[in-house]
Amino acid sequence: MNTKSYFFQSFAIVALAFVAFIGFKQILPDKIFSDSKIDSKNVLIDSLLLESVAKDSLSLKSDSIEESERRLGQQKIVYDASEGIEFPSETFDNYKGYQYLISFYEKLYQLEQNPQRHVRIAYYGDSMTDGDLIVQDVRNNYQDRFGGNGVGFVSITSESAASRGSVKATYSKNWKTQSYLNVKRPASPFGVNGHVFFANDQTNPTWVQYEAGLPKHTTTLDNPTLFYGRSSKRGNVNFIIGKDTLKKSLSPNNLVNTLKVTSGSIKAFKANFIHADSIPIYGFNFDNGIGVHVDNFSQRGNSGLPISMFDASVMQAFDNNLKYDLIVLHYGTNVLNYGTKNYFWYEKGMTKTVNKIKESFPGVSILIVSTADKSTKYDLEMKTDSAVVPLMKAQKKYALETESGFVNLYTLMGGDGSMVKWVDESPAKANKDYTHFNQRGARAIGNLLYSQLNNGYEQYKILRQKRETSVRPKAIRKPKADSVSVEKDSVNE
Amino acid sequence: MITIDNINNWFIQDFGAITIEQVKSWFIYNPDEKLLFNTGLFLGLFLVFYFVYGFLRKTFYLRLTYVILFSLFFYYKSSGIYFLLLLLSSVVDYGLSQIIYKETKVAAKKIYLVISVILNLGLLGYFKYMNFMIGTYNDMFNGHFKFHDIFLPVGISFYTFQSMSYIIEIYREEIKPTKNYIEYLFFVSFFPQLVAGPIVRAKDFLPQIYQKLNLTKQDVNNALFLIIGGLIKKTVISNYISVNFVDRVFDTPLTYTSFENLMASYGYAIQIYCDFSGYSDMAIGIALLLGFKLPANFRTPYKSTSITDFWRRWHISLSTWLKDFLYISIGGNREGSFAGFLFPSLFFFGLLLWGITSYNTSIIPLIVAFGSILLFCLSFLFSSKRKQTLVTNFNLFTTMLLGGLWHGAGAQFIVWGALHGLALAVHKIFLEFFPSKKDGKSNFLWRFFSILITFHFVVFCWIFFRARDFETALQVINNIGQLTFEPQNWKAIVLGYKNVFLLMLFGYVWHFLPEVITDKMKLVFDNTPLLIKAIILGFVYWIVYATAVAGSQPFIYFQF
Repeated sequence: MNTKSYFFQSFAIVALAFVAFIGFKQILPDKIFSDSKIDSKNVLIDSLLLESVAKDSLSLKSDSIEESERRLGQQKIVYDASEGIEFPSETFDNYKGYQYLISFYEKLYQLEQNPQRHVRIAYYGDSMTDGDLIVQDVRNNYQDRFGGNGVGFVSITSESAASRGSVKATYSKNWKTQSYLNVKRPASPFGVNGHVFFANDQTNPTWVQYEAGLPKHTTTLDNPTLFYGRSSKRGNVNFIIGKDTLKKSLSPNNLVNTLKVTSGSIKAFKANFIHADSIPIYGFNFDNGIGVHVDNFSQRGNSGLPISMFDASVMQAFDNNLKYDLIVLHYGTNVLNYGTKNYFWYEKGMTKTVNKIKESFPGVSILIVSTADKSTKYDLEMKTDSAVVPLMKAQKKYALETESGFVNLYTLMGGDGSMVKWVDESPAKANKDYTHFNQRGARAIGNLLYSQLNNGYEQYKILRQKRETSVRPKAIRKPKADSVSVEKDSVNE
Repeated sequence: MITIDNINNWFIQDFGAITIEQVKSWFIYNPDEKLLFNTGLFLGLFLVFYFVYGFLRKTFYLRLTYVILFSLFFYYKSSGIYFLLLLLSSVVDYGLSQIIYKETKVAAKKIYLVISVILNLGLLGYFKYMNFMIGTYNDMFNGHFKFHDIFLPVGISFYTFQSMSYIIEIYREEIKPTKNYIEYLFFVSFFPQLVAGPIVRAKDFLPQIYQKLNLTKQDVNNALFLIIGGLIKKTVISNYISVNFVDRVFDTPLTYTSFENLMASYGYAIQIYCDFSGYSDMAIGIALLLGFKLPANFRTPYKSTSITDFWRRWHISLSTWLKDFLYISIGGNREGSFAGFLFPSLFFFGLLLWGITSYNTSIIPLIVAFGSILLFCLSFLFSSKRKQTLVTNFNLFTTMLLGGLWHGAGAQFIVWGALHGLALAVHKIFLEFFPSKKDGKSNFLWRFFSILITFHFVVFCWIFFRARDFETALQVINNIGQLTFEPQNWKAIVLGYKNVFLLMLFGYVWHFLPEVITDKMKLVFDNTPLLIKAIILGFVYWIVYATAVAGSQPFIYFQF
């Protein structure tokens, strides 16, 4: 046994190891774990997105694009008056597009004058709004200010039903579900929520149960109404409220049919579908008929592109019942992970989506919400993913081109590096995947979103006031469709 | 010919130019970049420190002072200005210990001891539990006290316990005080175990200060083996699976499938073991390189055949500390005391209150409350030595409750401690009925199921330990309860998180390897030449580096 002091050797080992490390760093690859491609069969991601990405093979970014982008950023956007109202001009960099929300703002204004009216918002989103995150906070803000009770339209089944606090939905396992996420030709057209459900089980009962949630304005289920589609066969449904059972029959004659469970507010009920065979079932709507109602149509893995497959006539039938005033499209998270920074293909695809919305809900205002900040590890540090800004810009472009309002979530939450802050902050506001917000963060985002929308509304009221006090314009106005246009060439130095 | 310029260029290429700013950042406290053993900065600083240390090995006070200065710098890098708190508390504790030693009257000794315990626990209580207490008060009595803006100094729980052990051991006349403050400060601030243990006992450590500093080849072998294992456990296994899987599931358990929740629970069990024991191993290894032997802190705890066995293998330095200074102080297995009855009574009272208040929404809490009280009572009512078992169980339960709270300020830690306390009591009564199982000489099948059950109980308790709050823990448990047998879907998930699951498997296989094999590996390592050892260590550095730069796995949602 060597009892001599071994300090020198000990130091030599540690020091030599350091040299060896430098050597290994030179010859070995940088990363130890391969970023392997995952078999997408079981992963929730929309099929249109995968196709678009596959098609988009050649996309090299050149300097000229960057140069033109810079010029675009400074470009002034000047609005034409619509209904005699003209929002001040703005630059592309700060684009918000309040001008294109005028019809929505006018409806809000009417509601403020007469609390018996109603305004409806459909909020389409991806996993960011799963479990009613963000949307419940937007809804709460609106209902606080303008009145209204109820969570709006709720699907039969959803992957995120368990995590939703604003309404509790449980359902039997034998529902057959088709989603616009991965089905191109559904047996019956998709509903406004992008899904269609069938209670085809002949032997076991197919059921769904709803229970009101805890948050303010959603503590009761108001005027629960079933929405279902057209079919050649009839069917039956039993509504169980407490100890009472209401037997009703389904007459699927129109494109979209409704059936009121009961008038007034209840705490919970269960619906048993019996011999409902091939009747497309969409979901239940809960609202008290006055104030603001916000539907959450979230779908994990969605890029927004599948909306372009909507059947416009079915949507119009939904719109006749629900009367939408604003459609929010909050997407982007799912198109960040494909290594591409050229989002021309997405711009094109989403333009189609917006056009489909316009066709489906005539006259509705549209709001595009951009991707939030998302971080990726570069060397040893978590930083804003290099795809975030290009995507956000693409989203702004199609917002402008389709004459939609725009919320820049990326800058709203703090811009570059903000996701890292939201995750590391104590208490944290976002999850460790550096992508999704938690309850706390979602509330902050919901409030930011609402305050930007509300900001526009306050400006609208001032502009409206000015219009009233100035000389009344001539009775004949230009038709609305023509009056909203963008002058892109106004300032060109 | 190699010129200075050439070397310079090579250096810049590989390390980047070094700016004044960078050098500054090495020495100035940055709350976002703590000086952990597994960072490159620590390696660099340690190399320089160790080089000089080798030359000082024959000196005494010079060497002690040198290590103290490095330790204080190390602590400053972790907690900023709060290194003054460490100094302050050490001055006070040293003073009190001197007084206790010199005082001859037992009553006076006791008073000084109480003062020092109150001071130490008060300090720990303020920094760690103030906001928890305010929150609890506000919740219970609708109070509106503002939370204090308190920074939790790193390692305060560890060094407070360490200096308390010094004073109590002097009071119990188990050790003699150090000759002067320098020696005492060296013991308290010794950087290897300063921030995350093991909690070194004065009577184990002080004698080593006075020995002639010696470092044998075998010591270095042991140290390197520990450091290598620790680095892999902490930075490769623990860090990777937590960031890429476990944290996500525990953030929002309801958005993941039952299988993912179950795997995240298993994942957390191996993660916390690797994190904690890995860091301990590095601390022990580094101390050993400096010539000091710290006690082992973990002995493959998931191989335990019972919960009692588990607490002899998990965080040993803490459990022996709690046994010697808390459990025995409140009466141990001999007599009951006020404190010994107070905390369990409070806990069960709170549990009943919870059951009654939530009776309107669900009856389950009430059943849980009554069930656990009944179980606890049965654990001593069935005993043949009823009275003795009663005090033992109350004292044990108190120890586990407070031990749970030591891990963090939150109700979920108390619940965690309570679960372990109950299990210990149940195991004791079980042994009384089946004494043959005591010495573990049972057949293979029995052993296998004992390990399996103990492991799963421990994993179940970890869920409370890890979850952000009580509600999240229940969500995870509920979700796992809905697990159905769907091997196809499980396969898809495992493939989706391939790296994570491979690392988890690696961690568990390594953990459950028979000792014969690990001993063999150690023997092979001991007999490799010095250069090969350096290369192995260098390779491990590279693995650590490559894992650290590995991008995080993008999120995925599965559909089935």
